[in-house]
Amino acid sequence: MASVETDVFESRLADGTEIDDLVTEEKGISRRIYGDPEIFALEQERIFRRAWVFLAHETEFQRPGDTITRNLAGEPVVLIMGDDGVIRAFLNSCRHRGMRVCRADRDNLKFMRCVYHGWAYNRDGTLRAAFAEQLYEPERLRKEELGLIPVTQVDSYAGFIFGCWDPETPPLDEYLGDMRFYLDLIVNRTDDGCEVVGVPHVWEARCNWKFATDNFTGDNFHLYTAHGSMVELGMLPPDPMSLSYGYMITAEGGHVLHIVPGPPGFEYLGMPKEMIPEFKRNLSPAQQAVMERSTFTVGSIFPNFSYLHVFVPKEQGAPPCSFLSFRMWEPLAFNRTRIHSYLIVDKSAPADFRTETAQAYVRTFGPSGLFEQDDMENWEDCTLVNSGQIAQRYHLHHGMRIGLPPDPDFPGPGKAYQGSYGEQTQLDFYAEWERWMTAPRPVGARKEA
Amino acid sequence: MTVEATAREPVVFGFGTPEYAEITDWVTREVHLLDEARFDEWYEQLHPSLTYSMPVRLSLMPKDGFGFRDDTDYYLDDYTSIRTRLNRLKTEMAWAEQPGSRTRHLVTNLLVEGAGDDEYRVRGQFLVTRARADHLPDIFSGVREDLLVRGGGGLLLRQRRVLLDQSVLKSFNLSILF
Repeated sequence: MASVETDVFESRLADGTEIDDLVTEEKGISRRIYGDPEIFALEQERIFRRAWVFLAHETEFQRPGDTITRNLAGEPVVLIMGDDGVIRAFLNSCRHRGMRVCRADRDNLKFMRCVYHGWAYNRDGTLRAAFAEQLYEPERLRKEELGLIPVTQVDSYAGFIFGCWDPETPPLDEYLGDMRFYLDLIVNRTDDGCEVVGVPHVWEARCNWKFATDNFTGDNFHLYTAHGSMVELGMLPPDPMSLSYGYMITAEGGHVLHIVPGPPGFEYLGMPKEMIPEFKRNLSPAQQAVMERSTFTVGSIFPNFSYLHVFVPKEQGAPPCSFLSFRMWEPLAFNRTRIHSYLIVDKSAPADFRTETAQAYVRTFGPSGLFEQDDMENWEDCTLVNSGQIAQRYHLHHGMRIGLPPDPDFPGPGKAYQGSYGEQTQLDFYAEWERWMTAPRPVGARKEA
Repeated sequence: MTVEATAREPVVFGFGTPEYAEITDWVTREVHLLDEARFDEWYEQLHPSLTYSMPVRLSLMPKDGFGFRDDTDYYLDDYTSIRTRLNRLKTEMAWAEQPGSRTRHLVTNLLVEGAGDDEYRVRGQFLVTRARADHLPDIFSGVREDLLVRGGGGLLLRQRRVLLDQSVLKSFNLSILF
């Protein structure tokens, strides 16, 4: 039998194309990365089964036994709060025949009982009982070895729980790196932190997940075309350069964002004035310096967790109101993405703000939102067209304000490029994508093979 | 509505009553206006204190009820914001509806109850199809819970709660009305 080294890392696609040829500075970005099932399968292996991926928020759990079902890299996961208050994550699969042990979106369970043959698991994942245990010889049912399979690494930042299937991936804090500085501006700025309002909106689009992340790397310059209707309605400022007067920022690890100042009076991300002393109390001087002059920020945590903190009227004629939404772009197939969209508020936010912020979010960026509707139109069409073999002969164009020197005087970490219309952060996201896709082990893994 | 009125058994207007006939006619005309994109005429059927919502639904065990959330909605609209939605369609950059969705609203199995003087609670089951471009049509099913009030020489919609059957929306956007 010929010796086949199945563990040799393959840097090429089946047709011989080098993966690191898909994203290059000279040629740009290959359309193939959005429209090829082979690349999607490789992303699952090299990115989603290795990177830290968002699962849920701690405030979605109130009491021991609360469960939420989600997916991690295409495999079902159940999160459950234990009697010790710890939220754990497991592969949602009975060790006996593989059936999911939790099948409702949410529940509260004393134990997770498989509905096929009755194997039941405690809230900490240990096997509590199998059916007719007395019929097994003891050594054939080692219950202590048959607990639910835990997600390899689980950790949280500001209540956002992430899971990771790879033991070698660096810890979450290290993975988030400098991005924490910018996340703090939106989720770690008040005494009691932030919380999820209700439940996420969940919907599906026939688009590649990267078009969503790409858009949330801080693509500000699509607004005046894709959302041109909002200018006509007076819900976006008439100046088409209005969102260009900020910064594109690349933190480490492919985490990127844009941050944009607004008109005087709308500093501190347009949040209610009475909250500003609390922000100052919780943020470092450098963080305050950034937040103080910002009205609008959009960013993405590599690979598929994005946010927007925008300031927008809830209807024609209304004053703008800010809201914060986090998005998890769950890849289902190369051309299918499940979107989980959360509304997040500071626990200490005033009651009237909570009402306004929910209306502003739902009406503009929920699935029926006046902005959101048009984004889906673009992402689906881009995915469809870029799946074509003729289209894939031609790379996409990225060239606006790239390769510029970062501003050394910007108070925050990472590389901050002055001017918030540009494609630098998009390219930096794709460079990170390529890094993971061509790495034999998780990017940042400490041990050498 | 007075406390006394809520304590009473609701008056049911069954098939064959003048109220049922009038409301069936109203619903029929309303959905034709929607499907024919006669949105300004449709808007005239709305009461200025309109609330228009569509709660998110979860897939839950029966012990936990039907799964409709009272804290999260797909639509959270009122008279002004619905006007904003309709005005958007008149711009030449409302891409999600240009080319437009081709909808069909089938609303049937109406239950009509009195809800006070000249107010009616109407529950109608719906099947809404939305064809768009060359896509497979989206199908939405559920119940519309309406409150109709008499005013302006006819009936006006003061409240609509759209209760969807789906828990994960299998549609890329909600650029239509229900």
